Amino acid sequence: MLMHRSALRILLVLCAGGLTAVLVAACGGGSSSSGSNAKTAAPSGAKKGGTLTVLANADVDYIDCGAAYYQFSYQIEYTYCRPLYSYKPQDKGIPSPDVASGPAQVSKDGKTVTVHMKSGIKFGPPVNREVTSKDVKYAIERGFNKNVANGYASAYFGNVEGADQAAKKADGEPIDGIVTPDDHTIVFKLTKSTGTAVAEALGLPLSTPVPPEYAKPMDQQNPSTYGNHIVSTGPYMITNDKTGKLTGYEPMKNITLVRNPNWDPKTDYRPAYVDKINVKEGVDPDVGSRQIVDGQSLVNGDFTPPPAILKQVATSKKDQLLLIDSGGGRFMSFNFKVPPFNDINIRKAVIAGMDRNALRLTRGGAVIGPIMQHQIPPGLPGFDEAGGQNPPAGADWLQHPTGDKTVMAKYFKAAGMSSGKYEGNAKILVVGDDSGVGGRAAEVAASQLQDMGFSVNFRQVPHSTMYTKFCNVPKAAVAFCPNTGWFKDFFDSQTLLDPTFNGANILQENNSNWPQMNDPTVNKLLDQAKVTVGRDARAKLFAQADQKITMLAPNVPWVWDKQPNIVSKNVAAVGSSFNATVDLNFTSIK
Amino acid sequence: MGRYIVRRLLWVVVLVFAVVTITFLIFSVLPSGADPARLRAGRSPNPRLVEEIRHRYKLDQPVTTQYGLYISNLITKLDFGHSFQNDTDVLDQIFKRLPATISLSLGACIVWLFVGISVGIISAIRRRSLLDRTAMGLSLVAISAPVFWLGLVALYLFADDIGKIPILPGAGSYTPITDNPWHWFTALILPWLVLAAAFAAVYARLVRGNLIETMSEDYIRTARAKGLSERKVILRHGLRSAITPVVSALGLDLGLLLAGNAILTETVFNIPGIGRMSYNAIVNSDLPTIEGVVLFGALFIVVLNLLVDIAYAFIDPRVRYT
Amino acid sequence: MTPLLDVQDLHVTFDSEDGLVRAVDGVSFSVEAGRTLGIVGESGSGKSVTSLTVMGLTRGPSTKISGTAMFENEDLIAASDAQLREVRGNEVAMIFQDPLSSLHPFYKVGTQLVEAIQTHQNISRGAAWDRAGQLLELVGIPEARKRLDHYPHEFSGGMRQRAMIAMALSNDPKVLIADEPTTALDVTVQAQILELIAKLQGELGMGVVIITHDLGVVAEVADEIAVMYAGRIVEQGKTDTLFDNPEHPYTWGLLESIPKLTGPREEELIPIPGRPPSLIHRPTGCAFHPRCPYVREAHKKTDPHLEPLPEDGGHRVACLLAHDTRRDLWAKLRAGEEPEQARAEVPLQ
Repeated sequence: MLMHRSALRILLVLCAGGLTAVLVAACGGGSSSSGSNAKTAAPSGAKKGGTLTVLANADVDYIDCGAAYYQFSYQIEYTYCRPLYSYKPQDKGIPSPDVASGPAQVSKDGKTVTVHMKSGIKFGPPVNREVTSKDVKYAIERGFNKNVANGYASAYFGNVEGADQAAKKADGEPIDGIVTPDDHTIVFKLTKSTGTAVAEALGLPLSTPVPPEYAKPMDQQNPSTYGNHIVSTGPYMITNDKTGKLTGYEPMKNITLVRNPNWDPKTDYRPAYVDKINVKEGVDPDVGSRQIVDGQSLVNGDFTPPPAILKQVATSKKDQLLLIDSGGGRFMSFNFKVPPFNDINIRKAVIAGMDRNALRLTRGGAVIGPIMQHQIPPGLPGFDEAGGQNPPAGADWLQHPTGDKTVMAKYFKAAGMSSGKYEGNAKILVVGDDSGVGGRAAEVAASQLQDMGFSVNFRQVPHSTMYTKFCNVPKAAVAFCPNTGWFKDFFDSQTLLDPTFNGANILQENNSNWPQMNDPTVNKLLDQAKVTVGRDARAKLFAQADQKITMLAPNVPWVWDKQPNIVSKNVAAVGSSFNATVDLNFTSIK
Repeated sequence: MGRYIVRRLLWVVVLVFAVVTITFLIFSVLPSGADPARLRAGRSPNPRLVEEIRHRYKLDQPVTTQYGLYISNLITKLDFGHSFQNDTDVLDQIFKRLPATISLSLGACIVWLFVGISVGIISAIRRRSLLDRTAMGLSLVAISAPVFWLGLVALYLFADDIGKIPILPGAGSYTPITDNPWHWFTALILPWLVLAAAFAAVYARLVRGNLIETMSEDYIRTARAKGLSERKVILRHGLRSAITPVVSALGLDLGLLLAGNAILTETVFNIPGIGRMSYNAIVNSDLPTIEGVVLFGALFIVVLNLLVDIAYAFIDPRVRYT
Repeated sequence: MTPLLDVQDLHVTFDSEDGLVRAVDGVSFSVEAGRTLGIVGESGSGKSVTSLTVMGLTRGPSTKISGTAMFENEDLIAASDAQLREVRGNEVAMIFQDPLSSLHPFYKVGTQLVEAIQTHQNISRGAAWDRAGQLLELVGIPEARKRLDHYPHEFSGGMRQRAMIAMALSNDPKVLIADEPTTALDVTVQAQILELIAKLQGELGMGVVIITHDLGVVAEVADEIAVMYAGRIVEQGKTDTLFDNPEHPYTWGLLESIPKLTGPREEELIPIPGRPPSLIHRPTGCAFHPRCPYVREAHKKTDPHLEPLPEDGGHRVACLLAHDTRRDLWAKLRAGEEPEQARAEVPLQ
């Protein structure tokens, strides 16, 4: 069950912060002109040296990689944290071995995962010793320690033998199911056949080795103070003093990263071009974006450039723009429990009649991404199998992104409305954002619903309130939620479909199965896919689930977002497909 | 006077206590969309983790217990608690950030007093002249311009990285005065001007109005009848009275400054002060930090008002406190 | 004897939103050393504007001034601001009606005196402070030196006016202009202040101009009186003459309105009926005609001039009634008759 409560991630979180004008701007859309594609490889002959500065509006969530669970934190922390696996810029499927020496071996029954580790990887100062498998074991164990506050340890490693006790006691005690036969081998024994998912989760920063002799006393503090003493395994380290106390991190102000003297490039795929990385926090997105575009050696961190600057960059400074698939989509959710959307024909009619291109224009048009046609976004396993850029066969209500009145009329008639328009009288409750681009999308949708004949009770509230008070609460009985969206945790479609469409995940509070879909076929497909081993097999099952879900018309899908990133002229930027941000390990100064 | 000050100081204690309590109530009792524990668990609403965090920060205990704990820590240990957001000691953070805010506010205050009073005097003397009309027109613009917008305009015009006329250090260039006084000074020029603009405008209008009124007083006629030069008449006799309301306005405005404009200015210019800190704290429902900032702010405002009242007694000999 | 201050044909007009205000319309008078001139009139008669103009205190962008005001061969009207400041508070000094509002509330009395002294005398602050103490003593303030440290609000009304007088005397002025010096004070204090002015004048030999709306105030102290109405002098003469043989109906009215200490208490003062005329739209003919009980149709068209009486060249009046008629009327009024009665009995010409 915990496993299903997967994370609502990244972009949504960024935009959920949109209580204020500043952040609303940060959640703005793209531009109407076509942009450049993501660059996922460093240019040949990239230079070493120089200082790169990352401008950010807010801080990382945790400086401790074992607790961090946030896109921006990942962007910064993969420079000083090396998990067992991590994503090279171009990696979209399986993460590459990092501290691990090769791919994780999942046993046939899916219940054992074995990982071999490289030798010669050393902790940075002040620990200065070689990394062993026991450090990885401790890293995962401390993820269950309440003082560490990791958000996903139990979700992804909850099936490791003994993990449930660890989760109960929550003091970071050893977990029997994590075994270290030698210093460079670690084995995970699982209670269920979830080996593939566990193997993928080893690409999350929790698997970054942590030296127990150094960190344990700190982890006994509540909260743990290891974050303020974190030891580097990567090419960079946060400046610290002799005791290991960080001097280069001032919350909400700055993070100073310098080269880690103990890092051996032979053990790492990261080229680590620049000598120093400064993270400057507290930057206003408008000012910061302008500084990046006009300045030198700057890249953006946690904020999205405002539409005006994006437009300018997209038209005249394409070299400075990186558009990266965000691995998610935006869709307007029907509530199956609230009439008239319990009627599938009504839902299909609405989808058919909705001008989804007009919706996309509110965020900036085609540059921001393709029209969403089904649930699995580009880049995720099952995307192609589920139809690629096209809707599933037979879904004629999704054929015309600009809206098709004939198809709409057909389905309204099928629902018994002979006029070809909606004929009911009851007001339907629509709750959307009250500001920014989200507010505009909601307004466009509401007016289109009215044109279709609905009588709309349209409420506009702040984005976070929309979720916490309305759309995430089944009791609120919102009929239509125009500002919902979901983004991947990593490149596995489970994190995308399960929390949002599995009937087991309908919660009374904090619900993200907005349609409250509880379809036995879909549930079965999802449950089956979760325990299936092997990427291709999983992809196929998730694609089936996707098609099945899409045919049930649970939402009006309208855009598969790309995340825009901007850099200064003299920066040869490389984007991370996994994190949808600028990859600091591969980016160099021209 | 002494007794008066003691009595006022006792009031300060009562007031600050009330402010702390009200802030606590607002965040703890009134329903708000933001659950601090959930926000801290933040990016992944894993219920168990949320519970753990709730427990860690004693958010699972009755509000009265939380409140009692907060107050007792505050009084006995001067412990403002730890930030929900990044576990840092609130008092420590406030003290670290205080210099930046003081630099910004005090500097801006000097700028606006200087500009506001001079423009006010000139406008009052040259009443209805082109100069007066221009100054008063501009002041209306300055008063109605949102600080945030003004900050962006200033940066786009004059910042050395993104400005059209790149002459002054822009956003994010703040340096502590102890590191480099010259950089400190140059980096604060734009923020000072932006922050001071609206206040300077208000003060110019205030001084102008007061001075015009004062200049028709009988004692101004007396001063002229003495044969004093017009300069002395205006500065020694006119301004002396016209400036009195400015002192009381200053007490309120410095409070207002902290409550709003300094936050915005620090945000636009990325000055690591109290303003930015409270902005982040509010966005993240970081109660301990909000409490700390509010407490400091309240203390600052009431003490400032006390100072203003005392200053008043010195400025206006007719005022006597008992 | 040449007059100290000689004002000739003074005109003062102000631009206002309602139109041109003719505040002073051709006023002439002079003061000699050791003599006192009383200028009497209702508020709005131009008496205060006249004195302020002599001091240069009505100068401004919307004011037009013409005429001369000769003080020791210097025309104060034509003088530059700087020249004027030399004279102001130095050789010609002025005190005002309301001593509380005329003293700066934020400065000690001593400081304000010192400022007056140091503006015109190049002496140290200590010396000026001593001098200020002497001045307060001179005007009869007890514990003068201690009082220097007090603020105006700590003084009583009479003391404030004494302090104002002291300030005016700081630089031994040759002319003292007192604008309603006693109006804001109660009756007993009024007398003291007037006595003080008279005494100081005797000691210092100043020329004094006392401006008042109350003929009673100047009865004792003035040598000569000018009665002003609507910006002009309508009657002027020696004090005794003016009281014994007033010629202008307006002067009669003023005399009637003097409170008589001997009269029965409950007897009402008789104010002059009607209101002072507008200085923007001056009545045609004799400006007093709308309020004059003895008005003739012709008076509404002809503007009277200030002319000396045949038997007494120093007594001048601006009235269109015949000299004999005026004398008869005054006799009746003096006998206690009401104006209506007098008017009925005396044939008007």
